[in-house]
Amino acid sequence: MACSLVVDGIKVELGSSRILDNVEISVGGGDMLAIIGPNGSGKTTLLRCISRSIYPASGAIIVCGRPAREYSNSEYSRIVSAMLPQWPSGFSMKSYEIVLMGCRNQAKGVWWEGDRELEIARSALRILNAMDLYERDFDTLSSGEQRKVLIAKSLAQRTGIILLDEPVAYLDMKHKLEVMTVLRELADMGKTVLLTLHEIDLASKYCENVVVLSHGKVVAAGKPKEVVTSELLRSVYGVDAVVKWDEEIDYPVIVPRSRRIPKGEASCLV
Amino acid sequence: MNRRGKNKRLRLALYIASLSIFFVAAFMASIMIGSYQLSPSGVIESIINPGRDPVASSIVLGYRIPRVLFASLTGLVLGISGGVIQTLTRNPLADPYITGMSSGAALGAAIAFVAPIFPYYAVPAMAFVGGVSMLMLSIFLSKKAGAGSMGFILAGIAVGTFASAILMVVLAISSEKAHGILYWLFGSFSTSTWGDFQVALAVSLPALLFVLYKARDLNILLLGEEHAAQLGIDSKRLWLLLLLSASLAVSVCVSFCGIIGFIGLVAPHMVRLVIGSDNRFVLPLAGFTGSLLIVIADDIVRNPLNPIAEMPVGSVTSMIGVPFFVYLLIKKGKSFGM
Repeated sequence: MACSLVVDGIKVELGSSRILDNVEISVGGGDMLAIIGPNGSGKTTLLRCISRSIYPASGAIIVCGRPAREYSNSEYSRIVSAMLPQWPSGFSMKSYEIVLMGCRNQAKGVWWEGDRELEIARSALRILNAMDLYERDFDTLSSGEQRKVLIAKSLAQRTGIILLDEPVAYLDMKHKLEVMTVLRELADMGKTVLLTLHEIDLASKYCENVVVLSHGKVVAAGKPKEVVTSELLRSVYGVDAVVKWDEEIDYPVIVPRSRRIPKGEASCLV
Repeated sequence: MNRRGKNKRLRLALYIASLSIFFVAAFMASIMIGSYQLSPSGVIESIINPGRDPVASSIVLGYRIPRVLFASLTGLVLGISGGVIQTLTRNPLADPYITGMSSGAALGAAIAFVAPIFPYYAVPAMAFVGGVSMLMLSIFLSKKAGAGSMGFILAGIAVGTFASAILMVVLAISSEKAHGILYWLFGSFSTSTWGDFQVALAVSLPALLFVLYKARDLNILLLGEEHAAQLGIDSKRLWLLLLLSASLAVSVCVSFCGIIGFIGLVAPHMVRLVIGSDNRFVLPLAGFTGSLLIVIADDIVRNPLNPIAEMPVGSVTSMIGVPFFVYLLIKKGKSFGM
């Protein structure tokens, strides 16, 4: 079940701009790794490379000791699942239908879902505390609820490696913690979890390692305690903040110093 | 949850039951109506005991039954292919003709009509060649543009418009033969034979079975190539195979009966209104609905007084289809999804 993932110096260019530049990441089986970094730093592109939505111009992605390119779609779907946003909308589909699509990679029959698949789909929603969404129309759900359904779809794929692009965006605090706890438990059970996050405190709390991307480059990587510092926040995010690690509850407290907009800048908006 | 499941099953059962009743009625009517009117018992008599009334029997077995069978098959093909193409292009307004196929088929038929080197029976063959080649051109152009399903629709419109333009030229320079071409363009089952039916069935049945067999994966293709690939579907190949199968089935039917509009668009949506978007239900039922609509339309066009002056069935389907389509558009508005 445990699968290693190595991203070996990949480059992605879009037109003349370089989205990813020589990115190197290595995750062992059963690890949970967060990719953090400001908007536009290439986090989503990195996940899309690993999920084979785009192919890097150079470099390689090695999954379980074999280049990602060499897998067939059906083989790859049994090893790597991806929760990417930009889910198509406008096709009235029920939540459970979407989660069941995750089971397609293990399906024996081509026509009907078996009881086993229904059971997997239910337990994926149940573990995320989202059974109440089961029969709901996906398009009528709130953004946060849609996130949960899409995460459930990825879990239903039952892969060794799980990629998630901002799995807790749009979720309220309780649901954020719920999702992170579930992912942590799956990692403890041997799955490799790779996710992008804007919530630095959650990343530090739940993940063994964090990778910081900025302008398509890895600028820092390692244990959250060593990586997440006020210097990092200043140099990468351009934010002046105090980072205090609360040893008692093992949780980082990040308090930004407020910065005023220069005088006159906002006057035309008032 | 359970209750809704039951509700769906009930609606499904009601829909199938009413389809079946109407279909049997329309099918019988199709055998009865015409310049030689028959009663229901007369129809059964003429099949069981052909010696009693040889004229009635030859009309029923030689003309009416192949005609209604071919009409049913065409409806089945248009309904299923419409559902497939709407899903593949992820466009609820798509139908088998958006691929540039109908214009291509029309152009092929027109050329066969006009050019003196072609015998009369070359019309279906040329329509088939024209339709499939325009489809291939659309696929080729959209691959070149690399713009996915949206690019395919735009390429289809461009190719279709181009073919129509040439068709207009052909019509203009062949004034005395234009009537024959126009009649074919409107669509008609009045000339359908057992041979037509057998050829169309032999070609379209394997294509339809393949499409139905892949209905579950087709549901996943609705999400687009990227997501489908991640779920383990060989999406590029499957997309092409399904499109070719649907188009092959349509073009072989269309090449015999001419262009019949709006069935491929309307039938899948009628089904989706009742039972949702799961293609495993939508496709077979859209086929059945398409058959019913076409057989009804083919009953309406009959002119008992003058069998030569039948109305074109294609314009009847459009006259029924367009108001329904407008109703869908207004009533369903935002949720006019798939």
